[in-house]
Amino acid sequence: MKRTRLNGAWLGLALAMAWSGAGQAQSAAASDPTDAGKAVFKRGNCVGCHKWHGNGGGGYGGDALSLRKTELSREQIIETVTCGRPGTGMPFFVRGSYDTTKCHGMSRQDAGDQMPPEANVFLRPNEIEAVADYVLAHIKGKGEPSYAECTAFFGDGSRVCNIYKEAGHAAAPSDNNDKAKP
Amino acid sequence: MTRLHWSKTHMLAALVAAAGTIGGSFAYAEDISPDRLLNADKEAGNWLHHHKNYSATRFSSLKDINKDTVKNLKVAWTMHLGGVEGGGIWSHGGLEGTPIVENGFMYVTDGWGSVYKIDAHGGKGVLLWKMDPKTDHDWAGAVACCGVDNRGVALWGNLVVSHTLDGRLIATNKETGQVAWQRQVADPDKGEVITGAPLIVKDMAITGVAGAEYGIRGWIAATDLKSQKEVWRTHTIPAKDEPGHETWKDDKNAKASGGGSTWVTGSYDPATNTIVWGVGNPGPDWDNEYRPGDNLYTDSSLALDADTGKIKWHYQHTPNDPYDYDSVAENVLVDVPGPNNTTLKLALEADRNGFAYAIDRTSGKFIWGLPFVKKVTWTKGLDPESGKPVEYDPKQGVQKYNASVTPSRTNKVTDICPGNMGGKNWPPTAYNPDLKLWYIPVIESCNRITLEESDPAKLKPREFWTGGGPSQPFKITGSVTAIDVTTGKVAGKAETDFPNLGGILATPDLVFSGQPSGEVIAYDAKSLAKLWEFNTGGGVNAPPMTFSVDGKQYVAILVGLGGAWDKWFIDATPELKRMQPGSMLYVFAL
Repeated sequence: MKRTRLNGAWLGLALAMAWSGAGQAQSAAASDPTDAGKAVFKRGNCVGCHKWHGNGGGGYGGDALSLRKTELSREQIIETVTCGRPGTGMPFFVRGSYDTTKCHGMSRQDAGDQMPPEANVFLRPNEIEAVADYVLAHIKGKGEPSYAECTAFFGDGSRVCNIYKEAGHAAAPSDNNDKAKP
Repeated sequence: MTRLHWSKTHMLAALVAAAGTIGGSFAYAEDISPDRLLNADKEAGNWLHHHKNYSATRFSSLKDINKDTVKNLKVAWTMHLGGVEGGGIWSHGGLEGTPIVENGFMYVTDGWGSVYKIDAHGGKGVLLWKMDPKTDHDWAGAVACCGVDNRGVALWGNLVVSHTLDGRLIATNKETGQVAWQRQVADPDKGEVITGAPLIVKDMAITGVAGAEYGIRGWIAATDLKSQKEVWRTHTIPAKDEPGHETWKDDKNAKASGGGSTWVTGSYDPATNTIVWGVGNPGPDWDNEYRPGDNLYTDSSLALDADTGKIKWHYQHTPNDPYDYDSVAENVLVDVPGPNNTTLKLALEADRNGFAYAIDRTSGKFIWGLPFVKKVTWTKGLDPESGKPVEYDPKQGVQKYNASVTPSRTNKVTDICPGNMGGKNWPPTAYNPDLKLWYIPVIESCNRITLEESDPAKLKPREFWTGGGPSQPFKITGSVTAIDVTTGKVAGKAETDFPNLGGILATPDLVFSGQPSGEVIAYDAKSLAKLWEFNTGGGVNAPPMTFSVDGKQYVAILVGLGGAWDKWFIDATPELKRMQPGSMLYVFAL
């Protein structure tokens, strides 16, 4: 009997590790506790408007706000992702927002033509917390994007970070290989 | 040489047949010579150039499929392609390419630049090889303003010549699908990407570049396919010692990031050895006060000496453009009877600004122009002599045109017609030389522009440099509009529920086109009455073409909505939000 219970506990723990974002974050704790949030940032296509560096910027799609210059708190970021921003292109990421749960005190009917678009993927509350923590740790309050930040986001399989290399050379001390070059 | 080549080809064909990939069919391949490219229309069953021929008419003389038989047109075969995956700021790729067909073998590309060779013999399609250039998705996709796009290949010698979004020109062995060589032509570090198909002139591949939304300085480049070296590169914005530099009157060196992209394949007039190529918008797109002056050669048709790249003439459509009305469209080179038994040698261009232009292609002189869209608000019309907008004042650095709708630093939110997608965008026109009718794929549109003052401190490589942006409070529809080139008047308009995002094919008595809602449509060439329709179930974002093999005529079209529309402009066509990303080739036959 005792043995069976023990097995059950192990199974439960393994399951929790397998399906919870928090579990993934724990297992990756050695590198970065917000890696799970980075994965959500990519999967939610935040990059599509805010770009990898979070600065957003104008262009064909209008002006996505800068997450580097944002003054939103953790709770406000969570609310914005959950509910979107009425009257803008920022979509809502939680199933039932404006329908089963009011957002900014509004139902879908109240929002009318200010109703924000529905995101292409819905996120679970723990995923939204993870992406908010990622934004707070790696984007909010940061200055100009650097080579180190860029490679931390993309890895080194793409030339997407090239342009930060020369300008940000001195500011990228983690890139030992490049520092050794003349 | 010929003998050796024949035996080599036969050996290869035998090898491939033995491997079981060709199946029952047999065909030989022959090299594509400059002579064959000059006489492409003599090979009635083939489609050798991106725009069918050097004149860019996209007219095929094949007529088994005609106004009497088209009702029997059915799907002959289909093929799923790849390249639908996202990258950079894009959630998925799309298909905008024109298939190339030579002797029953078809060459198509997907949005990330993979090339597929398909054996179209025997009433079916068999994939022979796929060349995946391993395009750097994040590097290129982050600075592609308007989608993960590739518009197709060109043929030269025994090579298939293509581009990639990340700026390469690639030569692939036509028989084996192995990359023979490649060359980096554009630099995504500067915001440059390539979406257009190459134009082969003599032994050169001509490349255009995209990136006017990212502060590039545009160019057209020629690569010698024998030595693989650059022959010439002509910038579309003059250097400080070149004619035209005086049309950039600011003190901020705006011309260094002044745009002038060239991302649609041009045309070629062998009689005068002249390449005619369209040039895109100035940057920043909407803040024209940042760059007072006419901003040559943005928004122009440009004629270049094919051997040297030297500019022979230009014709500018929207000087000091504040609307993103680029002139990147193809120029169609046609001859029509003029007064007193003369022949008018014309270059036809349907501009984003809503006007269709006929220019004398020997001199660059304006002949006629007219609106081809239902609604134009930015100008009262064109001056009948010069073709310039009537409000254009060469003494002013900053043009206001119809000031009440023109975005400016004192009029920051305005509604313009046509909207900034046009008019007419990259989807190609077609011209029927028998009827002298020119068919334009039209976006009937207005949209709202919100101007942002451009700050030179914010000009950074790989970041948007647009001076504002569009939004879509108005429904956008479309049409196929026919213009009688002998009179310069609209001869007919077939209206559509959605904008034309695919372009046009003309045959002796039919016109083919598609809709982003899925339909492929055949119209009567004279009346534009709809004669046939098939719903592909995917968004049509590419031009139809036709070819014959084994004596049978086919119509082919790539289907898969990508491009700029479903990211930036979808609010103007909310019904299209239901269209799913896809990547599929449809081939029709009687």
